[in-house]
Parts: sequence; C-alpha cells; structure tokens
Amino acid sequence: MISMPPSERDLHAYVDHQLSEADRRVLDAWLANHPDAAAQVRAWQQDAQQLRAALGGALQQPANPELDPALIRQRLKRQSHRRLASAAVLLIAVGIGGFSGWQAREMTLVRSSVLPMTDALQAYRLIAQQGILPADYKVDTDGDMQRWLDRYFTQASRLPDLKSAGFEPVSGRLLSTDEGPAAMVMYEDRSGHKVSFYVRPPGPKNTFLPRGSRSDGDLQADYWSGGGYNYAMVSPVDTPAAPMLKQSLPF
Amino acid sequence: MNTLDEQLRELIPRMRRFALSLTRNSSSADDLVQASLERALSSWAGKRAEGDVRAWLFSILYRQFLDAHRRSRRYARMLEFFTGRDDAEPSTERTVIAQSTLQAFDRLPTEQRALLLMVSVEGLTYKEVADILDVPTGTVMSRLSRARQALRQLSDGEISSPSLRILK
Repeated sequence: MISMPPSERDLHAYVDHQLSEADRRVLDAWLANHPDAAAQVRAWQQDAQQLRAALGGALQQPANPELDPALIRQRLKRQSHRRLASAAVLLIAVGIGGFSGWQAREMTLVRSSVLPMTDALQAYRLIAQQGILPADYKVDTDGDMQRWLDRYFTQASRLPDLKSAGFEPVSGRLLSTDEGPAAMVMYEDRSGHKVSFYVRPPGPKNTFLPRGSRSDGDLQADYWSGGGYNYAMVSPVDTPAAPMLKQSLPF
Repeated sequence: MNTLDEQLRELIPRMRRFALSLTRNSSSADDLVQASLERALSSWAGKRAEGDVRAWLFSILYRQFLDAHRRSRRYARMLEFFTGRDDAEPSTERTVIAQSTLQAFDRLPTEQRALLLMVSVEGLTYKEVADILDVPTGTVMSRLSRARQALRQLSDGEISSPSLRILK
C-alpha cells in the first residue's frame, strides 16, 4: 500500500502502470483533489505517449536479412566447425610431429645432437622436397599469411619480406616438435624455388641462438632468436637468389 | 528451437529500435543487434529464460552496447564513428526525427534514453529495468524521475545543453 500523500516515486509508478489496482484507485481519488500534482502526472503521461508515437516509426524499418536468427545460427555453427577444424589440424600436427620428431631423433643420434634448428631443416625436407605433408593453409591475398601466423605465434617477428629476391609466401604448416609447436611458412619464386621461414619456441631448455648459419647436405639454414622464439630460414644451397635472400633477412 | 527463432524474429524490430536509440546510427544499431543475437543464440542452451525474453534480450543488448562503447572510448575517433559524438546533432540517417519530443529525447544522455525507452515505450517493469541496468530498483526510480524532468524541460523548449544543467 502506498502512504498519503504519495511520494514522487508513487506518481511515476502511477504513470507507468506499476501500482496495484487498489493503490491506483487511491491515487486516482487523491489526484482529483490535487490539480498541481495531477497536471504534473498528465504532463509525464503526455510525454510518454508522445515518445511512444515518435518512436513507433523505428519499429517499421525494412527488415535486415543479416539479422535473421536462422542465418545467425548457421553462421555460429560454421564458426564452431571452423574452430573444431583448426583443433583437428593441431591434433594431426601433433601426430605427424611424433613422426618427424622421430626422424629428427635418428639424425641427432648419428650426429652428436645440438646442431641448431635441425627440425627446421627436417621440416623443409618433409614439406618442400618430399611433399609428404600438405599445407594447412594456402595464401589467397597479400597479408593473409601474416594473419595466419599471428593466430598461433602472437609475438613472433614479422614475416621477412623477400619480394626483392622474388619470393612470396604461398603456404603454411603447423608442426609439433620436441621444443614445442612450430610453424613453417613456405615462400616460392616464379620458377618454383622454395625457401622456408620457420618459427618455434626455444624449447624446455630455453635455448636461444646467436645469429648463425650452417649447411646440411644440400640445404642451408640461417637462424636467429627474437621476441621469445627461435627462427630459421631454410633454402637449398644452390638457390640462385641466395645472396639476395641473405640481404632480406630481418637482421 | 524454431519457436525460439519465431520469438526472436518478433522481437527484432524492438531490439533494433532500442539499439537505434542507444547508438543513434542505424548501421551501428544493426551491428549491435547482430552481435546481441549471436550472444543470445549461443547462450540460449545454457540459459532457458525464466523471465521475459524481451527483457533478457534487452539486457544482452545493453551490455554489448556498453562493452563496445567502453572499447571504443579508448579510441576517441572510433567513438565518433561508432555512436556519433555524444552531443552531436542527430545523424542524417535519423530522418524519423520530426517531433519535438523525439528531438528532446535525442538530446538526453544515453542512459536516460535507455531508461525512458524501456519504461515508457516498452513498458518493462522497474524490476526488469533494474536487472538490465544492474542497479537497485530504487536507483531506477530516482533516475527515471530525473530523466522525465530532463525530457520535460527539453521538450518545453527550455533548450539548454544537458551538460549545463545541474542534476542532483
């Protein structure tokens, strides 16, 4: 029950039909004898009425098909599928990582371990030379490759720009290594020469590398560290653009 | 599930109107509605609305608006893009604006617009509005009183900049 005289809140509640039927009747009677308050209430009612009328038009907007619930539902489903799909890619990468890790282990057994970025060379062999692993991601437009890499390695240094040597990023592949998840971005030039950019964490022993390079059979690896990751550029020793590539590296 | 879609479809015009009154720009309003519907549809399974579906949607929308607003405030230029400057003249897209009430309404601060729309236009209960704004019911009522006063003064032609008026 409201008490008399009514508070301003009661008057608002009256305007907004939020009083009980009994209170409403009590207030009706009271307002009949209090013309000032009644005028105030009427003004509020009028404002509300005008506002309803004025905003009525905003309900009549032409429908926007983008807002259809069924469409939005579909879009959400596609998004979650995509998320599942990328999770699957990671799982596959882990599986294959076991395999390539095993190959790498064979190599390290033969040579006395610790040669830096062996996994980058191994990945190049598996992906670029033997074509055993397909790419996870192929570039459609310029800039996509960086975005793809940024999804997994947020703080990695920018992809090197090798345009001056004639190389463009074309595809990417996630891998799992003993040192942690790795990504390899493949560059190609017009005549199909391939070089790779490889990034991964420094590994459990936090092995950061001084800048360096080494050759391994027919391959050449340039490696360095930065931003919490280790990097390598791998290219065939006989790449004609080798000197140009070397100049394009980000150090 | 389709009954939910039906319910949503019926409420979309109201969501768009609410969003429009918040953003004062029809394309950001629809972006806001879309984001809110996405949120609503993805959280629906977890939350079977025990109350009014409309109040639930309004509260999602209002929260999304505040989030976007806060985010965009970090980029002053983004804010202009997203909502129009807060004291700017209404955007040209708002061709609906003809009446003085609507003009007055448009000059009110965002929260007062939201409040008046929910109470006076949508007829939500004080309790529902309190839940949406995440404040006690008493606060809703005192803010409502101020909002009504402001609207009254503005539509009476006492056109003073809202920021110059001292509100208790």
